[in-house]
Amino acid sequence: MTVLTQILVSGIGFALPLLVAAAGELVSERAGVLNLSLEGMMLSGAFTAVLGSVLTGSPWLGALAGVAGGLLLGAAQALLSVRCLADQIVVGVAANALALATTTFGARLLLDDGRGHDVAAFDRVEIPLLHDIPLIGPALFGQTALGYLCVLVVVVTAVLLSPRTGPGLRIDATGEDAVAADRTGLPVRRLRILCILLTSAMAGLAGAQLALSEVRAFSDNMTAGIGYLAVVAVIAGRWRAPGTVVAAILFGLAQALQYALPALGVAVPPAVLAMVPYVIAIVAVSGLTGRSHAPSGLTVPFARA
Amino acid sequence: MNTTDLRRAAFHPATVAAGAVVVAVLVGLVLAALAGAAPGTAVAALTEGMVGTPYAIGKSLNAAAVLMLVAAGFVLAYRAGLVNVGGEGQLCAGGIAAAAVGTTLPDGTPTAVALPAVVLAATTAGFAWAGIAAALRAWRGTSEIITTLLLNFVALAVLSLTVHEPSLLRQPVTSSETLPQSAPLVAGAHLPSLGLSRSPATIAILVAVAAVVAVGVLFRATPTGLRLTALGHAPEAAARLGVPVARTRFLALSSAGGFSGAAGGLLVATAPFVLAEGFSSGFGFSGLVVGLLARGSMTALGAVALLLGFLVSGGINLQLVAGVPATAVSIVESLIILLIAGSAWWAATRRAAARPAPAAETSAPELIGATR
Repeated sequence: MTVLTQILVSGIGFALPLLVAAAGELVSERAGVLNLSLEGMMLSGAFTAVLGSVLTGSPWLGALAGVAGGLLLGAAQALLSVRCLADQIVVGVAANALALATTTFGARLLLDDGRGHDVAAFDRVEIPLLHDIPLIGPALFGQTALGYLCVLVVVVTAVLLSPRTGPGLRIDATGEDAVAADRTGLPVRRLRILCILLTSAMAGLAGAQLALSEVRAFSDNMTAGIGYLAVVAVIAGRWRAPGTVVAAILFGLAQALQYALPALGVAVPPAVLAMVPYVIAIVAVSGLTGRSHAPSGLTVPFARA
Repeated sequence: MNTTDLRRAAFHPATVAAGAVVVAVLVGLVLAALAGAAPGTAVAALTEGMVGTPYAIGKSLNAAAVLMLVAAGFVLAYRAGLVNVGGEGQLCAGGIAAAAVGTTLPDGTPTAVALPAVVLAATTAGFAWAGIAAALRAWRGTSEIITTLLLNFVALAVLSLTVHEPSLLRQPVTSSETLPQSAPLVAGAHLPSLGLSRSPATIAILVAVAAVVAVGVLFRATPTGLRLTALGHAPEAAARLGVPVARTRFLALSSAGGFSGAAGGLLVATAPFVLAEGFSSGFGFSGLVVGLLARGSMTALGAVALLLGFLVSGGINLQLVAGVPATAVSIVESLIILLIAGSAWWAATRRAAARPAPAAETSAPELIGATR
């Protein structure tokens, strides 16, 4: 395997969870809800996925538990920010802290109890012929079954909820002008709650993919900021699916470079490489994006006057 | 007191905050029980770690001082309508600058020179670090929440870099066991002790209280405070009245960073007087919690900072003595914010409903606090 192929393989490995989470977050943001809690949803998903896999011995049940773990935090975000009109960002930051503390606490109690636990993880499935395509073959067609499912989920969400479909239009209307959407009879709050739940389920799936396909274990704070990068990918992608996908893949590759460059013998301190994705993210958020693309109702809670 | 007054008192923000703290602490006790510590043991370990010994009290006071400074900065920016989530990164920036100055000053520099130099460097570094996000917010309109948050990750990486690279701040590497941390600060830069016997408490608490009072006076009695508040309430109206919106925003958020930076400097100037990875752990976030919980009252800010400062050192003892993971305290902390954030609107409407009819319209929207 050439070096470039290796970077691509690990880059797509990092990008895939980020992509699933970002694709979910895109739906929420178009509906007007910013979920900074995405990071916490992914982390909860990763934790419950590993827990589920250890308890049942089945990776698929583990992945299902991961989705449920994401949903749990999503329900809290929806209840507090849509029902109780709490500040979305404050709720998001606090929910992340809660997820980080709870999963660390839970890992001490349930996973690090001195008895080794076998994590039933997913194995890679190489698709014949396609896998042999030079350069990109191994990166794209050497995923686990859950990885392929992730890609499928991203594609289905992007197509079904694109701005050219009925549901997609309703979501955009809710995010652009909730008051007008409400007057035309759209159930604004219900739509927003559903969008947050979809986002959190996808973030939970992303966490499961990270824990069961890539790392094959749970470690404290294992998402380490990927959730925030996913939020930024949506902003950098100007709230549209193609841009979000590109941004997510770029962030994934930037993460992969962290591990690839030292292996290539390039002497760069690891800390410098660790900050690269975040510096790119700051530049992307502040420089590339015009403000006009943001849904105008983003982070504004809706209550009937 | 009639029933209306009672109901209004029951939904007062302070009552709601107290209720949230009680609920969260109860959850904490359940967590302790899950970890195998009986409620009695857990409470005993917690109080022992909080106020059991002069050492514990001193540690708690030092932690409270850091929280007060970060929270005072948070409130300063929050009044101007800006949310500073970057406390952690600004603490790091301040700590790095403090270590850089404190380790390069010649030995024997008197305290009167070294200490102000270290704190000034830390404050400036925090100001400049937050200034990146502040400038982007003021002149480009980029959300300061996202940028301050991302800058935390960058600052943590910079901290890791500075303590790992011998060419930067790493102490001279003499053996393979040399820890990746800075050399100790010169003696003159050490924060003087408060003078309590057998207590590690430093004058940091005095500095922090002075800062909190200063922010209180700023908002109560100065035109600058009024400008900041006006900007926070109605940016467009403030602009028409002649408030330089962009510049005021920039200064507000950067100053918030200055406060956190100073806190980082004080942390490094406290025993063991070195800069190491993780020295700021969690203070940035807890400071934000204190700022939110205080709801604009500087007295409340001091009280909450003390409470959390004591809780944090109590939590460490909880882990040492009762074997309950210290993250239990973080769980309690984040639950408090979620409960308060969720109940603010509900309590405000209940309170407005309990008030005589004519005034009901005026105060509810302001108390929602959700209309950013």
